[in-house]
Order: sequence, then C-alpha cells, then structure tokens
Amino acid sequence: MSNEVWVVADLKIDGSVRQVTYEALSEAGQKIAGKLGGKLCGVLIGSGVSGHAASLGKYGAEKVYVIDNDILKDFNTEGFTIALSELIKKHEPAVVIGGNTVFGQDYFPRVAARVGAGVTMDAIDIDLSDQNTLKIQRYSHSSKAIPTQVFHQNYPMMTTVRPNSFKAVENPKDPEVVDGGVEINPADIKTRVIELETKESDRPELTEAERVIAGGRGLGSEENFKHVYELADILGAAAGATRAAVDAGYCPYDMQVGQTGKAVSPNLYVAIAISGSVQHFAGMGSSKVIVAINKDPEAPIFQKCDYGIVGDLFDVLPPFTAKVRSLVSEG
Amino acid sequence: MKILVLVSQTQDTEAKIHVSSSGDSIDTGGMKWIMNPYDEFAVEEAIQTKEKHGGEVVIISIGPDRVLETIRQALAMGADSAVHIKGDGFAETDSFTVGKVIGGEIKKLGEFDIIFTGMKIIDEESGQVGVQVAEELGIPHVSLVSKVIEVDPAGKKAVCQKEIDGGHVTVEVPLPCLITCPDAMNEPRYASLPGIMKAKKKPLTVVEAGDINLGELGLSAEALGKDGARVKTTQMKVPEIERKLTIIKGSDEPMVKGEEVERSAEELIKLLREEAKVI
Repeated sequence: MSNEVWVVADLKIDGSVRQVTYEALSEAGQKIAGKLGGKLCGVLIGSGVSGHAASLGKYGAEKVYVIDNDILKDFNTEGFTIALSELIKKHEPAVVIGGNTVFGQDYFPRVAARVGAGVTMDAIDIDLSDQNTLKIQRYSHSSKAIPTQVFHQNYPMMTTVRPNSFKAVENPKDPEVVDGGVEINPADIKTRVIELETKESDRPELTEAERVIAGGRGLGSEENFKHVYELADILGAAAGATRAAVDAGYCPYDMQVGQTGKAVSPNLYVAIAISGSVQHFAGMGSSKVIVAINKDPEAPIFQKCDYGIVGDLFDVLPPFTAKVRSLVSEG
Repeated sequence: MKILVLVSQTQDTEAKIHVSSSGDSIDTGGMKWIMNPYDEFAVEEAIQTKEKHGGEVVIISIGPDRVLETIRQALAMGADSAVHIKGDGFAETDSFTVGKVIGGEIKKLGEFDIIFTGMKIIDEESGQVGVQVAEELGIPHVSLVSKVIEVDPAGKKAVCQKEIDGGHVTVEVPLPCLITCPDAMNEPRYASLPGIMKAKKKPLTVVEAGDINLGELGLSAEALGKDGARVKTTQMKVPEIERKLTIIKGSDEPMVKGEEVERSAEELIKLLREEAKVI
C-alpha cells in the first residue's frame, strides 16, 4: 500500500470540474495528506479530461492520474467503476475521496465493494484518527444527528464529501501527470445512455450555491414561482423548492430540497411560503443563515430560522426584491 | 417475472431523537420502527411491474425479529413471499458485509429478473447496500431512477429515466439488474384489510445469521458485528443549531400589513447586511 491520498475529480455533464473537487483537494491536503505524509493526488476519469490536470494542481494536487477514454463520455456506472477500481488495485492508495453528487453516490459504493474497501457517504468533516485511519463526520437520522465514523485499518479508505462543506484554497503545484493505463473492454459496459437531456441555466446548481432561494406550495402556481426566480437571479442564487411544490407541478424535481431531494448548506437560505417540515429541514437545516417569509405565524419554520417576516409573500416579496435589486446594482 | 425487493426497517426520524448512554448511537428505546419510506416506492414499483408482466414479488429483509412487521407490510401491499435474514448484529456491521450476505441469499433463490430497493435508508442515510448487492451479484445497477419507462422481460432489458444535476438521462440496462428508487417515482399503495389478513399466510423463509456460511462469501468469522466492521461509529451527536429567531410581525395582527410591509422588508435587508452579513 502507498500512503497516497486521492481526490477523484467530479465532473459536470458538460465535462467541467465541479467545485466540490477543489474543496476536497484543499481539505484533504490540509487534514489528511500532510499528517499521513502522503502525496495529495488528483484522479481524472472521463472523456477529454486530461486538460483539467493543471486546475487540480492549482488546488494542491502533486500528481494527477488520468484515465481518458471515449467510452467514459456522459458518465456510465460500469465504465467509471472499472476505471477507478483498476486504478486503485494498481496503485493502492490509502484514501480515496469523491464528491457526493449523483455520480459519486452511484459508483463509489460499487467501487468500494469491488476492491473490498470501507466507504462512507456525504462527509461534512474529514480527518485522521489516532491510528492514522480516516475519521469522518456526516449527517444521519434526517440530518438531526451527526455520527463520527472511524475506519478500520483496511485499505483503501473511501468517502464521498458533501459539496459546500469545505473551503477551496489555492495551493499551486505543478503536478506530475500519470497515465492511469487502465484498459476498458467495451463488452463490460452493459448500460447504455440512450438520451441525455440537459437544461441550460444561468443559475448555479443547488448543491454548490452559496445562496438558495426556495419556494413552497404557498406560491400557488408555476407562474408565481417567477418571484422565486427573480430574487434568485438578483442574488446569483440557486432556486429550490419543497416536495409539496414539486408534487403540485410548480417546478421540476431537480429543484427539490429535502430528505427526498437535494441536501444543501448555503450561507443564505431564503424560504418563501415554506412551513418547515422535518423532511424539508433534512435537506437544508445546516444552512448558515435561514430566512423565512410565511403568512402563518405558527409555521414550524419560525421556530428554526434566523430571520423572518410574518406576512403574505405577495405583499412582502415585491418590495423586498426591489430593495435587494437596488442594493445589488449599487454594488 | 421474478421481481425482488430489498426492504429495510428504519427508525421513524420524525420523532425527537436522543443519543444513547453509550454515546455512539441513537437511543432506540420507545422508538417507532417503520418501513423505510424509499423502500415503499420500491415495493410499489415491484407490484406494478408484476401487475403488468405477471410473475412474483419476493421481499428480502435483514435485521432482528422486529423486521417481520415490515416484511408483513410489504406482503400486505401485494408481495408474494419473503426471506428474512435474521440476526441482531447487522446494524453494526459494515455495508460491505451486509451487501455480501444479502447477495449470498439472493443467489440461493435461483434466477430472477429485476431487483428494486430504496435509494437510501432514512436513519443511517448511507445508501450503499443496494449498489453493493448488485456488485456482489455481478449485475448492473441504475441508481436514483425517477421513472421506469419500460421493463421488457422478453427482450431482457429495462429502460429508465434518472435525474442528474441539470437534466436527466434515459438509460437502457439489460436484465437482471438492480434499480434504486428515490421518491416521486410512484404513489405507494396502502395495505388493504384483506391484504393484511392474507399476508400472515404468505410463505416466509427465515435464515438465521448463525447459519450463514461466511467463508463461502469470502468473509471472516468476525465480519458480522462491530469489531469486524470496516467503518465504526465512535460518537453520535444530536446538535442543536442556535438560531437567532428574529421574527418581524405586524403590530395589530401577526401578519405585516400596509405600511408595515415596506418597513419589514427594509428591516430584514438591514439585518441580512449588517448583522448576518450575507447580502
């Protein structure tokens, strides 16, 4: 076994590197690689990805393994599983970290099973235990509890990390780029993407956004969600929604925040006409500042927020949005 | 078709939770146990698939005696039979071992076409076991499937839609495969009274943890239980985030009205700028 610490780059469907990659490199560099005395390495898996090596170097990667293969285009579970598993078997890293995104959630457990590794998901803190094994914290029980989990001396130790949990800090290195040298047999890829539909959006992604503006069923219609989008766009925020609003057809499922949707932890979460159920809080309860606008003074969210206005959103939001707009345009 | 569903029992996380006296787990005394909500979608999807294509639905569940109640619920919803892998130590075992044990029992059931399971369990929130069972069985998986578009048992394939950030993909996967279910994919049915009556008579196979041949699964004798786990929970906290609770209300009634509206908006902005410093 080597004592290398790997961060597997999490790529968007358009091929760009997700911020969580840089966050993980920075945190793993400071908390793990340094103490373990191991090299911090980036891993690039995908099609046409070699060019990203330098940007991983910018956040501290001293070495970057690259598996660049056309067969890996559009992310497929089997291809990524083979690529990462074979790379692990070949180079035997101590720690392997990835982003807890739709992709990371899909193939990290599978890779762990294939290489016999322990794995945890969605860590919000990573560190080393007294035995120099990985020690992480995460949310459980609908985000009401935080277990600390310590790995046994069994390698590699794998975890995904929640986006927006760590600061990405530049620490420029000129990384050595190593060809992963993993062959992927097309016959081993059994699932096939037959259609890929992406929406163009200028808004940041929910899980990465520093600010989130979210609406509940109280918005009343798809049309009225424009109030949410307008404020979001002024603040450069992502737009979110409750399950009730999604179920009512006011907005698409990919906007759903909560236990059965996405988990977010932005600096600012503005909840518009959201009552604040346990399930919704499971997805946004760790936000740094929570603001609520709701006409029901008894809504549970008023017991769990930092700031709030008891008022009708259709009264309160227009002047609030207008004032925020003039503030932002003043700079 | 032979359709399998992996079903877990979970603590009801709506309840208030407390750390146990050992400090490394949640106190389950007096806790209500329910079917994992995501697994309800899996059971429903399995029953709908059976209704369309014929065949049988087999429930597989792992855990202590109390899990039987959840198995009965799945049978009452319309599943045909169940396998209960029974033991007390599985909660402390790692997902790798649980995946291997479940996979090992599935292999004994003979050929099957498709496995459904929830995307994760709401108490542990790990979401690993389903995918790891697929790996143990050497079959492909598709995770976070928002819609099963088509199951084609004759053509030995399924077509599913899954959500990704910024869009969705349609994936074709050969059978047998494993599918993990988020919510919103269907409306789980309630168990009917006749269903509940019938459930008690449906075939149930019990596999005792002690009878599992660990060596055959490539596992050591210590694998079941805390000491053999690859990952161990050493501490559990139930944090209370202190919130400021600065709520602006109307003077006459709770809601702000008239002139108060404008002022409340101004006040909120001031708080966000000067106190919270977030805009």
